[in-house]
Amino acid sequence: MEKKELPAVGKKKVSSDKCVVTGKGNWYFPLSDIYETPDNFTLLIDMPGVGIENINIDLQDNELVVNGEVSQEAYTDEKVIYNEYNIGHYHRHYVISDAINRDNIEAKMSDGVLSLILPKAAHVKPRKIEVKAE
Amino acid sequence: MNLLKWEKPGPLDSLTHIQREMSDLLDFLSSTPQMEGHVNVEYPPIIVSTSGENVFVRAELPGIKVSDLYVQVANDILTIKGERKAAPDAAKVTYLRRERDYGTFARSIMLPEKVDAEKVTASYKNGVLTVTLPKAPESKPKQVVIKKS
Repeated sequence: MEKKELPAVGKKKVSSDKCVVTGKGNWYFPLSDIYETPDNFTLLIDMPGVGIENINIDLQDNELVVNGEVSQEAYTDEKVIYNEYNIGHYHRHYVISDAINRDNIEAKMSDGVLSLILPKAAHVKPRKIEVKAE
Repeated sequence: MNLLKWEKPGPLDSLTHIQREMSDLLDFLSSTPQMEGHVNVEYPPIIVSTSGENVFVRAELPGIKVSDLYVQVANDILTIKGERKAAPDAAKVTYLRRERDYGTFARSIMLPEKVDAEKVTASYKNGVLTVTLPKAPESKPKQVVIKKS
């Protein structure tokens, strides 16, 4: 596989012209990937600093809302002398279609990456139709 | 839980926005560190902080296996190297949206103080790498006893 260098990407703040933000702290859009396999759609969301207990995933109508909160206590006794990234909570929402079987959505969290596996509904899975000889 | 309401704001909402900006400002002044406006060009982004005993270097590195991370300290220079791998089945799947990047990275940081290289520890939790570097005895503040003559 080709080796390539990782570029640095700044965090994008959830801006107040797009939505009204309540609650303390800063909110950011986490970066996310969406890919499709024959059986599932998978969402991968980067949320560094979010523990498994601080993730909230809500599914309402056709909207999937993902919130992740970071603990901001670590720096209380420390003096920050150099800073390249912002610390804040994460929020992102997705609109999902009827192509997804909503009862079997699976979520996993490892190393700051949330993966959501959205299985496809039976009617959108590729199906082979047999041709019968008469 | 915090609520995020998605809709076009009305005229009165601007008051809420001002209030929010003010509380953001207060947060900025009081609690967690916020970036000072410079664009980071290197991966991973880091935060360097100090306490009385230690120097801390934190880096946001989501989705990396500990075995793919390499941390080294030599001559008060900290080096973080590693590789972020793409999803194992990435070649077979169809990407509909791709924002997360992968690849190799390496960066070195000149530490602000002399550290005891033997006692450096590193931990990786929830995608954040924390390197704890105890200060070398010579850079710790020492109280000078004043003798009465």
